[in-house]
Amino acid sequence: MTSGSPEQIWRYLDGEMSADEESQFQEWLRASSDNAREFAQITLLHDRLRTEHLLDAVVSSAAHESAATAVVVRRRSRPLAFLGSLAAAGAVLLLLWLGIGRTTVSAASELDRLLRAQSQGPDKTYEITVERVAAPSPRHTERDQEHRPPKPSIDGALLHIRQGNQFVLVRQLPNGQQFLTGCNGQVSWAIRPEGPVRVSQDLSRFNRDVPGHEQGMPLFDVEHDLEQLRTAYDVQLLPVENGDDAASEQEPTRLIVAVKKRGYRGPQRVEIAYAVRSGRIHQWRFVDMPYGPERLTLRLTLTDEAHLGPAFFDHATHHAPDRTIAEE
Amino acid sequence: MCLLRFAASYRKPLVAERIAVRDGGAPAWGVEWTCDMDEQIRQATRHWTLAQPVVSAFILSLVRDFSARDDVLQETAVAVIESFDRYQPDRPFVAWALGIAQNQVRLYVRRQHRERLVFDDALVAQLAQVFETLPSEPRTALGYLRECLGHLENKARELCELRYGRDLRPAEIADTVGMSANAVAKALQRIRDQLRACIERKSVVEGSSL
Repeated sequence: MTSGSPEQIWRYLDGEMSADEESQFQEWLRASSDNAREFAQITLLHDRLRTEHLLDAVVSSAAHESAATAVVVRRRSRPLAFLGSLAAAGAVLLLLWLGIGRTTVSAASELDRLLRAQSQGPDKTYEITVERVAAPSPRHTERDQEHRPPKPSIDGALLHIRQGNQFVLVRQLPNGQQFLTGCNGQVSWAIRPEGPVRVSQDLSRFNRDVPGHEQGMPLFDVEHDLEQLRTAYDVQLLPVENGDDAASEQEPTRLIVAVKKRGYRGPQRVEIAYAVRSGRIHQWRFVDMPYGPERLTLRLTLTDEAHLGPAFFDHATHHAPDRTIAEE
Repeated sequence: MCLLRFAASYRKPLVAERIAVRDGGAPAWGVEWTCDMDEQIRQATRHWTLAQPVVSAFILSLVRDFSARDDVLQETAVAVIESFDRYQPDRPFVAWALGIAQNQVRLYVRRQHRERLVFDDALVAQLAQVFETLPSEPRTALGYLRECLGHLENKARELCELRYGRDLRPAEIADTVGMSANAVAKALQRIRDQLRACIERKSVVEGSSL
């Protein structure tokens, strides 16, 4: 194998070369313009492969995207359509620059504002909708079959949250019964339809039932999640046009789109739709979020904001008084 | 050529305000010139749209990391538009934009305290020239890529999604799919060779000179 075969070009682009190999590779590029041209052509393909896959991600969340992006979605497979997608990409950049200004700066200040807004106000109830489940990797499947029972479906679950990491997650089992998990800030607990109520002083004991815990972005800790976006994500602020949910009819809404940076853990992409004036978040969307052996794309839609009472996050509120309590 | 300068108070002008300016009114949204903004933007958009794939690939060839490419590309687009009044139309736009991209890559590396680039300045300049003079046919033929991706088998598609959709390196992919890093690298190699062959075949059969 020569230092400049296509295989070596791919290894350079994948960041798989040692320092010595990189040095040889540089010499090979310098040696002839044909070599440099071969490198440029392969890099064009590499770059285009990334663009195609990003476009796929855009298509999957097209409902949340701008009209300019929608132009990209409708592209055809003929090469002529390539020019269309380029035009759209250019237009998106220009629109970002002209319409939103320096998005990084404004998105960062918006995150601050959302953070302040979330630290106030009553308890919140979100409905969880699973849009997509990616198949688990074979390695995960084997491991989970050995050690863990399957989790009840998170689709359609209700998540009640309060400041101080207090939450109640209500999941429906196939037989119509409920499986509740929660934390009141002093103990965490789990209530299956049958058997003892499990209670633990370890506040994180039962939070594995809430998506996001695997990678430090638990859904019940909204403030922590927003902080995480600031450090581990590239954040852009987009306008939301023609919002069709009840919340956006009442006041204008905007969309924050955060794409995970390399080297950080967490869902690949997070979208937050919120009311412009109040900073009230009415929808979160997490793309490619780990949940047990699976990777989910899920939405949290705000369904209620009300004070749920002083004892709502205590386990005793959610089961009969004669249930056995098992402390762990 | 018009100047395109924005005051600190710039905000996106309302359509009604833009019409008023076009009809002779004073701009009220923090723009310091009064010439036709639409024409300026149209020209810049037209040039940038055609140049962007080459500029993007050039940046990627230097920084290699996709999110770094996105950051630098966005900064380059902004710099290109901001300094568009200094662009001389008798010079190829791609060459001018690649010059800006080189500066943005350097700034990015300095700002992010990243490791130095693999290539030295002389090679970067040489590569910029090569990218600028690439014939258009191979770029046009890349339009067949989507169709070729559609022919991949499920496993190959999954590996591509992990590499290009999720921006994972072969070693990270190996962890996810339960293969060795070397096997992933080899598999990606084959897939990309397969895609190149498919694109070439299609451009010969269907004619890429669109």
